Amino acid sequence: MSEHVLDPAETERRKKALLDPLFTNNPIALQVLGICSALAVTTKLETALVMSVALTVVVAFSNLTVSLLRRGIPSSIRIIVQLMIIASLVIITDQILKAYLFDISRQLSVFVGLIITNCIVMGRAEAYAMQNPPWRSFLDGVGNGLGYSMVLILVAFVRELFGSGRLFGVSVLPLDTEGGWYVANGLLVLSPAAFFLIGIFIWVLRWFRPEQIEEGN
Amino acid sequence: MLRGWLDRARPLFEEQGRLHALNPLFEAVDTLLYTPGHVTRGAAHVRDGLDLKRMMMIVVIALMPCMGMAIYNTGYQSHLWVGGGGAPLPGWQSALYAQLGLGYSAADPVACLVLGALYFVPQLVVTFAVGGAIEVLFASLRKHEVNEGFFVTGFLVPLTLPPSLPLWQLALGVAFGVIFAKEIFGGTGMNFLNPALVVRAFLFFAYPAQISGDVWVAAMPPDAISSATALSQLAAGEITVADLSFTTSFFGLHPGSMGETSTFFCLLGAGLLLLTQVASWRTMLGVVAGAFLAATLMNVADPTTNPMLAVPFHWHLVLGGFAFGTVFMATDPVSSAFTDRGRLLYGVGIGFFAILVRAVNPAYPEGMMLAILFMNVFAPLIDHFVVEANMRWRRKRYGRGAA
Amino acid sequence: MNRGPLYTVLFALAVALVCSVLVSSAAVSLAPRQAENQALDREKRILEVAGLLPTSGAITREVVRAQFEARIRPRIIRLETGEADTSVDVEAFDPRRVVKDPKTSRVAPANAAQVLRVPTHARIYEALDDAGGIERVILPIEGKGLWSTLYGYLAVDRDGTTVRGLIYYAHGETPGLGGEVDNPRWRALWAGRKIFDAHGAVRLQVVKGRAGPPEADPHRVDSISGATLTTNGVTHMLAFWMGEHGFGPYLAGLRGAAR
Repeated sequence: MSEHVLDPAETERRKKALLDPLFTNNPIALQVLGICSALAVTTKLETALVMSVALTVVVAFSNLTVSLLRRGIPSSIRIIVQLMIIASLVIITDQILKAYLFDISRQLSVFVGLIITNCIVMGRAEAYAMQNPPWRSFLDGVGNGLGYSMVLILVAFVRELFGSGRLFGVSVLPLDTEGGWYVANGLLVLSPAAFFLIGIFIWVLRWFRPEQIEEGN
Repeated sequence: MLRGWLDRARPLFEEQGRLHALNPLFEAVDTLLYTPGHVTRGAAHVRDGLDLKRMMMIVVIALMPCMGMAIYNTGYQSHLWVGGGGAPLPGWQSALYAQLGLGYSAADPVACLVLGALYFVPQLVVTFAVGGAIEVLFASLRKHEVNEGFFVTGFLVPLTLPPSLPLWQLALGVAFGVIFAKEIFGGTGMNFLNPALVVRAFLFFAYPAQISGDVWVAAMPPDAISSATALSQLAAGEITVADLSFTTSFFGLHPGSMGETSTFFCLLGAGLLLLTQVASWRTMLGVVAGAFLAATLMNVADPTTNPMLAVPFHWHLVLGGFAFGTVFMATDPVSSAFTDRGRLLYGVGIGFFAILVRAVNPAYPEGMMLAILFMNVFAPLIDHFVVEANMRWRRKRYGRGAA
Repeated sequence: MNRGPLYTVLFALAVALVCSVLVSSAAVSLAPRQAENQALDREKRILEVAGLLPTSGAITREVVRAQFEARIRPRIIRLETGEADTSVDVEAFDPRRVVKDPKTSRVAPANAAQVLRVPTHARIYEALDDAGGIERVILPIEGKGLWSTLYGYLAVDRDGTTVRGLIYYAHGETPGLGGEVDNPRWRALWAGRKIFDAHGAVRLQVVKGRAGPPEADPHRVDSISGATLTTNGVTHMLAFWMGEHGFGPYLAGLRGAAR
């Protein structure tokens, strides 16, 4: 690969790979991918943050690895190879969390493992990393991870603050059950709340970017 | 006189008038007081040939007996408790009531009505204030007139709630219900869920401690008395139907959501709705039939393992929100099915699932709200299949040419 | 680029090999730390329910380890007799495994807590005072709540009847309702209650309504509002595990010794 001098077009492409997934092409808001885990891990900021980091690392490195191997992967078995790479990365991430962040990994339970089935990871490997050079694929992975993380953390912020009166486990709105004044909103602790919040996020995003509204039929 | 005043004010709100931005509000007041210049006649809102406004008025009139009973029974239950050794709830309602000097006596109907009104009316006011404000806001944003869609919903909401619900929670629930069940789908006529039930569902899941368990009487209980509804006591195995009086349950002199307790007054409303053909008799019949099916199956199955399985069919009709839901919620023309056979099926689904949830789900002693919302979601699908079946049948009958 | 089937097979094998080496080396190298984490978590909860967790300062793994080593002594008892049994290895004892094995457990008699099998032996923990005498004991309990099985520990004073604390370390109850069994304010209601009445019958239960302070109302604890079925589950599991098929004989021994 000949990349001794960075031409402006390549810089632009890299910037696009990293930043586009935040608002212009957000994996959750526009592509509506990977929302199952967004329901499960967003009752607390702490878990959402760890999940976000885990997913970002996995997408970035799976993109990098797939891109490095992209010329060698026989196309007949490419999905299986991608899956194998992703699965290995996820298992290793899960093992590290269990060893170093035990408490959080217990709360995340199976959801780190389920990153394997997260459509964002497979989607980026197949749609981007198979056609693009390693460094740009890596950036694309980081960008998509961050796009996912942004939504996850926003949702978790609202759910933890209004659902349990806390942020990162620290009491912000003292609860009536613990002698304070705030009555926790139980709906926010239940999974459907994440649907509502993601819906509102998409609503607001499309308010500002009407071009993302899909054509009705 | 009022007409003249409105007509004189009209230019202010028209295209060039100073208060044009408030036009939707003007329209709302105008059309609420007088028949609008043009009424919905086509298939725009309700897929029905009736004037929407007149239909809504009939529903509200049909609700009047329930509302009266809601006010009376709310007061009556509180008086019973306070008279029986409990205490009034701390709060401004009790303070105001003490000022009136009526005293606590369940035998005094005036005292019952006054105390009940102190709990019911504020909920009604808050519901209309919040719901109305949101309707006006969205109408202004979308630049179309406020329609009367919230009118019936506003009356239904407090009737489905416990008297002791904090008003701020009610306000939040109404805001959620109106925005999420109605406005985001395009306003009245476009909602596929019943907005009043969405308000209740929001409160049920968001603030369960204030809408389940021991919240059904607006008073502090005398020692060792539970205010739990008859249904939740049955589900917990604390009582059996033999401990209840069928007449009391039928007329609704027991704790519960304010408007749901009395099957008798719901039936009065049902009579008017059926007579004027505002509500579908097929839906109501379907619900009762579905409930009969579920209850009978359970009675036959194995009533020893779960006390709710043994509750006979006719008791289900007079307990909890069954009657109210059947008459006023399931029949909502917008969120129910709209084909004739579809309505029957839709009703059967509601009745069946309501009884199923009552008996089998350990956490929810009442299943009516969830069953109706669930079937709301399926109503368009039911219609689709009814229409499909109809088309197939016609094709068979008239030969292939019809397609 | 058509490289033929052999290439495809070899490529797949190579990727699989690399991946499996990476995964297994990660798993193997991290396993001891993970096991330690699990043990540490258990130790922390036992200390907490026994009231031995330091109230000030950071709770690091060292603090937990040191405190556990110094103040807690695990012991295996035979449930039927309530006597200590040194023939079973304390460290290797796996409570979840022994109930599956018909040699080390039996079918439980019908019970409201919906416990299916009772083990022959149980691992309890003795909390020691400064002089090394038994101050209180920590007993594992489990039973059905509304949606899930709750697993927890009950700390009992050495008199064999006074509760010191109750903690659940695993359950799947509704957050905000049944999940409030984790609420420290509700858990604080348990300290000082008595399990048994004067005749040795299990009386401790969760009730609806206002239970008094422990001195005046020793056998009742307030339920959690909106969580009747979960708290009924708590009552049922206490009735079962404090009864004759659970720790009844052992606690009777403690009560006898205290008298």
